[in-house]
Amino acid sequence: MKGETARRLVRLYPGVWRERYEEEFVAMLEQSPASVKDILDVTLGALDARLRPQVVPEGRMAVVERMRGSVLLGLWAWTFLVVAGVGFQKMTEYEDFVRAARDNVAVGVAFYAVVVGAVLALAAVVVGGAPIAFAALRKALTEGRRDVPLLFCVPPLSLVAFVGYTLVLVGVVYPALGSPAVHDPVNVALFLSLVVAFLLAALASAWAVSAAVRRSEIGGRPLRFALYPAAVAAFAMVVVLVGTAVWGLALRAQAPTLFAGDDGILSTPTYATWLTVVAVMSVSTAVALAATVRGLHARRPSQHPERSTS
Amino acid sequence: MSGEVSKLGRFSDPALFILISLADGEKHGYAMMEDIERTCGARLGPGTLYGALARLEKRGLVEPLVSEEKRRRPYRLTAAGASALEGRLKELEGLAREGLGRLAPA
Repeated sequence: MKGETARRLVRLYPGVWRERYEEEFVAMLEQSPASVKDILDVTLGALDARLRPQVVPEGRMAVVERMRGSVLLGLWAWTFLVVAGVGFQKMTEYEDFVRAARDNVAVGVAFYAVVVGAVLALAAVVVGGAPIAFAALRKALTEGRRDVPLLFCVPPLSLVAFVGYTLVLVGVVYPALGSPAVHDPVNVALFLSLVVAFLLAALASAWAVSAAVRRSEIGGRPLRFALYPAAVAAFAMVVVLVGTAVWGLALRAQAPTLFAGDDGILSTPTYATWLTVVAVMSVSTAVALAATVRGLHARRPSQHPERSTS
Repeated sequence: MSGEVSKLGRFSDPALFILISLADGEKHGYAMMEDIERTCGARLGPGTLYGALARLEKRGLVEPLVSEEKRRRPYRLTAAGASALEGRLKELEGLAREGLGRLAPA
């Protein structure tokens, strides 16, 4: 089997397995004649190694794996907070809520705290994620891999697809249907399709970035660096959560009629939408905080001595 | 101790072949593959061989030797591995004797 083919096959195995066996495994594959049976055998072996890991990461690899897991968990937590945040934004864009934020200091301050927290979290994710993406892409290009760059194309393509779908709805479908009323079933169905499109775009993006980072042999440095922006993002998520919670409580105190109304998503009760958003944000924030603590704990060198080279 | 080999599920046969192959001395992966094919009449695929080898190493039944050349790292049986192999072979010997005894004309 040619060396390049052997190397490509070995990439199917998890990073910790490759760290331990790659060189000798590739040497053995190079000595074996290439056959479909062996390629299938190696593929099944790689699947087995992923489903039932035989090599437990230790030393430096364990630290890198823990940091990678923490950073990616933080990414997923942030993604769900964004989904909930978009729901909150959608609800509060109505004029009544805008007026409530303008007329009541507590409601207004809470709302702007949410905005500031969201911007800060986004900035932290970009600052922490950019070096990781750069390292993964550089490694992929060095190895001639196409899967990692393609996976990193998913978030921008998802964004383009979502924006394109929204523009088609607003510019073509709604006018063609004679701009149906808010509670018209057609309007509700179109809105739900938009929600589903957004959810799919968000989940596909998070999955693609996670898969790209997991498949890449990134050194510890960008992951270690990302833990600090991840901590900032987790703090910003707390700000968003507290702001959203205070917004609802302040609205209930200052504008009880509005709070008791049916101005939530799809004309659901306002408090129900608010509670759902707060619940999703609470879980997301708790996960982000836990991931940050785990990641910062994992990076302590004294906890994980360097692996023996014997 | 012999149960250690049978605990490896669908990897128990390849694991037994590996232990037998290493019983007469250290070998690297490809040498094991050729030896197993010659002595046991079974050709283990590379993925199967290393899947079983990794499990044996994790259980402390085989161990890699320090080698200058990482591409041809040799392995050898540990004391636990030799004990597990002996136990398993005795089990099989007893099983074979029982089976052959039943096949023999009364």
